[in-house]
Formats: sequence, C-alpha cells, structure tokens
Amino acid sequence: MGAESVSFGAVERGRLLVWLAVLVGVALIVLAVVYWVEPAKSLPSWIPGHEAGSNHHHVKHGIAAFLVGVACLVFAWFRSAGPRPRSAAV
Amino acid sequence: MPISYFQAIVLGLLQGVSELFPVSSLGHSVILPKLLGWNIHQNDSYFITFLVATHLATALVLLGFFWRDWVRIVRGLGRSLRNREIAPDDTDAKLGWLLVVGTIPAGILGLLLEHKLRSVFASAQSAAFFLMINGLLLFGAEALRRRAPQPEHGDPDNRVARRLSWRDAAGVGTLQAAALVPGISRSGVTMGGGLLVGLSNEDAARFAFLLATPIIGAAAALKLPELFGSQGNGVRGPALVGALCAAVTAYLSVRFLMRFFETNRLTPFAAYCLAAGLACTLYFLV
Repeated sequence: MGAESVSFGAVERGRLLVWLAVLVGVALIVLAVVYWVEPAKSLPSWIPGHEAGSNHHHVKHGIAAFLVGVACLVFAWFRSAGPRPRSAAV
Repeated sequence: MPISYFQAIVLGLLQGVSELFPVSSLGHSVILPKLLGWNIHQNDSYFITFLVATHLATALVLLGFFWRDWVRIVRGLGRSLRNREIAPDDTDAKLGWLLVVGTIPAGILGLLLEHKLRSVFASAQSAAFFLMINGLLLFGAEALRRRAPQPEHGDPDNRVARRLSWRDAAGVGTLQAAALVPGISRSGVTMGGGLLVGLSNEDAARFAFLLATPIIGAAAALKLPELFGSQGNGVRGPALVGALCAAVTAYLSVRFLMRFFETNRLTPFAAYCLAAGLACTLYFLV
C-alpha cells in the first residue's frame, strides 16, 4: 500500500512535469513569434525587451525563446513515453 | 576599401588557426590589428561582416572534417526521437543529445549577451589581459583534471558519450559563453571543462570541436544577411579571400590538433597565452 502510493505520487508528479513542460514550451514558442512580429514598442511592458518608441525587432530574443520552447517540448516528448520492456541479455 | 586584401589574408589565416587552437580567435583578431597599427576595430560593422565570413568557413570545415560523426549523430537523434527514448547502448543518440544540451545554454547566453560584452570588452588592452587569464585557465584545467591522461582505445565518440553526464555536458557547453569576451578561447574553455569532468585530452578536444560546429555555424548564419546586404558592400571580396584562407588553416589546425592531443596536453597553449597576453599588456601600457 505504502509502495503503491509512493509510485502513484511519482507518476502524478511525472505527468504534472510533462504538462508543465508542454505549457511552458508552447508559451515560449508563442512568445518567440511575438518577438519576431512585433517591434519593441508594441511588446507588452512586462515582456523583456519592451522599449517605448523603438521600432527594433528583437530577433535574437525570439530565437532564444524558440530554442528553449522547443527544448521543453522535446523534454515532454521523452518524459511522456511509457516504460519500455527490455529484452533479456543473451 | 575598409579591409585590404593583404589584411584579409593575414586575418583569415589567423582566424582559421586561432579559432581551433585554444588561444582565442576573437582576442587575436582584436590584438593583431592594434599591434600592426591597422585601423580596424572589433565593433566596426564591416569587420563584423568580415568575421561572419571567416567563421562560416571555419564551421563548414569542422562540419566536413567530422562529417561521418555528424551523420551518425543526426541519425541517432532521429532514432531516439522516433523511439521516444535514448537506448543505453545508443551512444550516437546520447552524444547527439549531449551536444544539444551543451549548445542550448551557450546559444542563449550568446544571443542575449554578445552585443553587451562586445561593447564592454572591445579594446585590445582588455583582450590582452583576458588572453593571460585564458592561459591561467588552461594551466588550471590541466592541474585540476580528474584523472591522469592515458592512451585510450575504441571509438572516441563512444567514450565521450559514456563518460559525460547531462550535467557535465550542460556545464562544458555553458563555458563556451565565456568566449564572448575577447581573449577567452571557446575551444580552450570547453577543452578545459572536458578535462575537469574526466575526459582525456583527445576526447575533450573532440567534444570541443563537435560543440563548436553548431554554435559557430549558427552565429555566422545569423549574421549572413549583413554579409549579403548593404553592410557587406566593399567587404565581400576581402571577406571571400579571408574565408578561403581561414578554411585552409582551420582544416590544417583541426587535423594537427586531433593528432596532437592523442599524446599531448594543453600546457603549451597555456604558456603561449600567458606569455603573449603578458607581453601585449605591457606593450599597450607603455
């Protein structure tokens, strides 16, 4: 019973981590698109890179956000795969 | 013309060697024009455009030199994504993901800090000072290494994949960002980091060169529009000549270094950086 509840807790935590990674990944990719499309003056003030009156596009910020977003999705992809049966060594 | 063909040849030859030898290419390309009295500065847009071409050439040479390894690595990455796991015996996939883990933090730091660091540490004086620091770092890495160097057998990519943990790869990869400071060598800090996490000199050099390829290539590709845009006007000819020279010396350098590190250490490069950095610092002071 104790071992089962520990195992269930670990599975739940694992699932939560996967969903968190997917959410963060998608949010960062959206943020990357915002960086590429919007000039610095049009970015929301709470986003790093906002500069009033600036027409500069933060392309590098966008690439950085995109890379981390993709990394989060790849992490979720591996993490959400179920346990694999291993063939016995010959 | 902002850069003459003679200057392009000298800087191209220097770039190919110093990008791969652990002696800081950026540091040398800042110090040498100052020593020779050339009116070329690190932050001049035409010089950045010139450097894009020479870096791209170096990255292509590295890609070509390790082509078979990259084919195996990319296949391993694809296999692991398809199977949604990195099989314990799939060292190509493990090495591929180690390179990804090592490249992402350095890439992000580079994207966010490159401009600021370039403007703060643009002078030849600071490059000479950091060249000395680079020498001390290389000496320190050899002194603090986890195990004594010994000849190793088998496939070097397998050895690297088996010995490095994810945390090791992230740490060694992140060190590359230190090379944004002119005078600190990217290959030097990654080789030093490799030694500190238990790789042999040969394997540390191999991992450093594999790590360097995507980051140098991506940095150059990101600035390619400047080379082909209006900023490249008047520099494209010298940039092409410089890139060809860089390609030749980069090929000879990587060939030499892979053999050199089979039996030798970082110590000669550490001594060179310390001596050259000290001499240039004193020269610029007086």
